Amino acid sequence: MLEESPTAPPRSAPEPKAARPPAEFEALFAAVATTAFGIAVRLTRNQADAEDLVQEAALLAFRAFASFEPGTNFRAWFFKILTNCYFSKRRREKSRPVTSDLDDTPDLYLYARSGEAGFPTQGLDPAAQLLDQLGTERVVAAIDRLPEEYRVVSTLYFMEDLSYEEIAQVLGCPIGTVRSRLHRGRKMLQKALWQVAQEDGIISHHTTSTGE
Amino acid sequence: MSHPLNRTTCEEAFRRLDDFLDRRLSQTEMRMIEEHLEICAACTREFTFEASVLTGIRRKLRQLSVPPDLLARIAAEIRAAGNSDSS
Repeated sequence: MLEESPTAPPRSAPEPKAARPPAEFEALFAAVATTAFGIAVRLTRNQADAEDLVQEAALLAFRAFASFEPGTNFRAWFFKILTNCYFSKRRREKSRPVTSDLDDTPDLYLYARSGEAGFPTQGLDPAAQLLDQLGTERVVAAIDRLPEEYRVVSTLYFMEDLSYEEIAQVLGCPIGTVRSRLHRGRKMLQKALWQVAQEDGIISHHTTSTGE
Repeated sequence: MSHPLNRTTCEEAFRRLDDFLDRRLSQTEMRMIEEHLEICAACTREFTFEASVLTGIRRKLRQLSVPPDLLARIAAEIRAAGNSDSS
């Protein structure tokens, strides 16, 4: 039963009072639905689970809507419920083992590798030539390789320009934690993108051998 | 040839790269980095490249749309929940 779900929204999950009309919720939800779905896809790693997650979070949020203060940040409030739902589902499943060779990624990884491989490192949008050869799903695949704590923060950051404060609010962690995970996650993501580009044959063989 | 004391070094600038790109620095620090970038071509290349990576990833990730029937399903579920809660 949803009322008994451990995926409780922030602070309190009041008894359903339905004090406010569904249309009010729907209007607010509609404005964040696309981003919420994008985040859910990144979190769950597949579309069907993402749809279930968004649907579950939406219903949960609607039931807790009385606790939402009008005029405050609905986006952060809803994303918190969404991520809580996700973490709760994950706890119910067996945790996937985290194996990552991304931990030791040096600074400026893509910059250095791009230079070695003959991709542009200068100009107005120098990374575009490499990234434009990767489809959206391949960039998603790169994000999927990050350990979960970095994947979640990076997803929130890249999907919707959430501020550090909003991400901290969503995840219920200090801003400093958001900052350090984000900075580290970006480095890891650069290496993951390079790995994906290598696997796709975008990077030529002689550079592959130096690409770890 | 030597760095004046009040001039930001490449190392100091680099340490602030992520915070600079996210505009998390104070106005004074932002200005310090901007001034450094005006005179340092190497750092400018690195900063521009990093900014370009971030922009590129964002551009890619935002090309996803919500399945239309998902919104309809959610709307129906919410209305049903609203009706049952108010009855």
